[in-house]
Amino acid sequence: MSILIGSETRVLVQGATGAQARFDIRYCLDYGTVIVAGVTPGRGGESVEGVSVFNTVAAAVAATGANASAVYVPARGVKDAVHEAVEAGIGVLACFAENVPRHDAASAVAVARAAGVRMAGFNTNGMISPGRCKLGGIGGDRAAQVYAPGRIGVCSRSGGMSAEICWTLSRAGLGASTCISMGGDPIVGMRMAEVLRLFEADPETDACVIFGEPGGSHEIEVAEALRAGEIAKPVVALIAGQFQENYPAGVSFGHFSAMIRGDNDSASAKRRILSAAGARVAASLEEIPGLLRRG
Amino acid sequence: MKLLEHLAKDWLRARGLPVPEGRAAGTAEDAAAIARSLGGRVAVKALVAAGRRGKAGAVRIAGDENAARAAAVEIIGIEVAGQRVTQVYVESAVDIASEFYLSFGFGRLVPQIVVSRHGGIDIEAIAERDPSAIIRADIDPLRGLTNWQAAVLWDRAGIESCLIPAVATLTAKLYDAFRAADALMLEVNPLALTRDDALSVVGTMMEIDRNALFRHAEWQDLGLDDAGPGGRALNARERSVVAADRKFAGGAIRYTELDGDIALFVSGGGAGLLQHDLLLAAGGRPANHSDLSPTSTTDKPAALFDAMFANPNARGLLVGFNFLQLAPCDLMIEALLISIRRNGIDPLRFPIVVRLFGPREDEARRLASGMPGIRYLPHGASLAEAVREIVAAVNTVREGAG
Repeated sequence: MSILIGSETRVLVQGATGAQARFDIRYCLDYGTVIVAGVTPGRGGESVEGVSVFNTVAAAVAATGANASAVYVPARGVKDAVHEAVEAGIGVLACFAENVPRHDAASAVAVARAAGVRMAGFNTNGMISPGRCKLGGIGGDRAAQVYAPGRIGVCSRSGGMSAEICWTLSRAGLGASTCISMGGDPIVGMRMAEVLRLFEADPETDACVIFGEPGGSHEIEVAEALRAGEIAKPVVALIAGQFQENYPAGVSFGHFSAMIRGDNDSASAKRRILSAAGARVAASLEEIPGLLRRG
Repeated sequence: MKLLEHLAKDWLRARGLPVPEGRAAGTAEDAAAIARSLGGRVAVKALVAAGRRGKAGAVRIAGDENAARAAAVEIIGIEVAGQRVTQVYVESAVDIASEFYLSFGFGRLVPQIVVSRHGGIDIEAIAERDPSAIIRADIDPLRGLTNWQAAVLWDRAGIESCLIPAVATLTAKLYDAFRAADALMLEVNPLALTRDDALSVVGTMMEIDRNALFRHAEWQDLGLDDAGPGGRALNARERSVVAADRKFAGGAIRYTELDGDIALFVSGGGAGLLQHDLLLAAGGRPANHSDLSPTSTTDKPAALFDAMFANPNARGLLVGFNFLQLAPCDLMIEALLISIRRNGIDPLRFPIVVRLFGPREDEARRLASGMPGIRYLPHGASLAEAVREIVAAVNTVREGAG
């Protein structure tokens, strides 16, 4: 078992005819992901890398039984794309658009959550269950090299760091049960603590690694879940962005969500709070395997 | 992006909300003319995107046009919250009987509303004086805010019963305005009850969503109001990156100049943060922070390289990507070479360290090998190794220069 996606996942690609979708579809197919359909309104009947394109998600689901969607629709249209996918019964979404208007993001995430749909993004590079399925560009052309299968659940606020963490695990002889890039926009479909609760319930996950950043409260919620005993498996945390504390609050250096606004927002505060809650805080990527093996 | 008061109020007024009449003036004469046409008492306020202007002496009440002219003379040219005042906003003064507080913003997942029966002072001051008087609630973005939901909140806030229907109706309309404006924040403080029992949106702060400007032609040409660290104005190189980001399609580029000498070309948000931390830990001083999201043309990355090469303090460059997943490596090297050539950079004297792995890496290495001096690290080198390499290289350059 992995969480969210696995060998039974039948992937639909919304916005399949765009450049980034074509780029990723090739590598997903090479990886062995079962991509059953693409959707681009007005382009039904075409095909992308051998994948049939439909006009609507409903038609694609009816014809192919798709149950997860990789959403490449750009920021200005992605709210409707998410609503369409949720109404068509898709259960897992990865939404790649970044800088989605905040009100649109809130609406899309609300409709997904109300239907029990698990959504990564906005501004994610997807999720991967190594050896089984990858949803989105995660891993690029070398997903097998970077993301080895194993028993560590990885949840990262950064797609790039999900790769660096999993590559570090692979080189240390460890691997991931599932790796989720949550998305870098301010509003994302799943809270980090929710992802960790899924790993907690997954018999194939022994421990978790999280990557956090300044700004927002994902990491603080993880600390609360640890203190409440909702997460009993070991959690190793790598939190970047301490340099931001050299600059005034309210300056954004990367993800828009990674902006320090309050006292508990900084990288050092998050490290302190996670550590006090029982997480193992890593000072570098290289420390992660050792902290996981500590037992 | 904060809207100046006249733009926010014009917009709310156009939606039929009860906003005092007022207009912006760039000179004292204009201010006097507006006061004359409004008639009666007016408020003359510094037109800057900052709260607490009253405390800063940037709001005056004037009894007639002469007093308005005098107030404008005093306010125009002063500095408020680090901004030089070039315009004042002149509006009809409201005869206030009571003041309430109302704001909309965003929580972790959904919009939120905050109301209080105390207004006219900062929310922080209300929190200090009477925390129980602050009522917060989430708003379901799929349903919006209904009149009765707003009524429940104001009832809990403890305003007089007879006011609840009108205040609740206005609150629901203001939420609709908040959403229609694609605002990230709308604060009405005070929301005033006038002596003749009318409600008036007297104080407003509105922050709009840069990412939704495509729906708001009226705000597209407001200029570049972004600020660098400490609220300083953007410099020429930062402005050129903002301009390139708007001009070219695909991805997004960001660039903030700092006071060090190692240019940092990083991507992927989080990995860039880590590299910046690592660079400081290794004794390097970043000349900038940057971010680039996946793009399929060289336009944006080349514009970002241009800014780094144009920075007179930069002595070396780290192209420090995380393992690339969504874009081909050779596109980045192509952009680097374009920028090296058009800026006349010699990588033998201006060290450039590249850690770039992922799709089309072999092609990228071939391209880079045609430009002597580029140090393309072997496949698998760590982020920390890349940082150590550039710090050592720039130290050598610095010693050579010194």
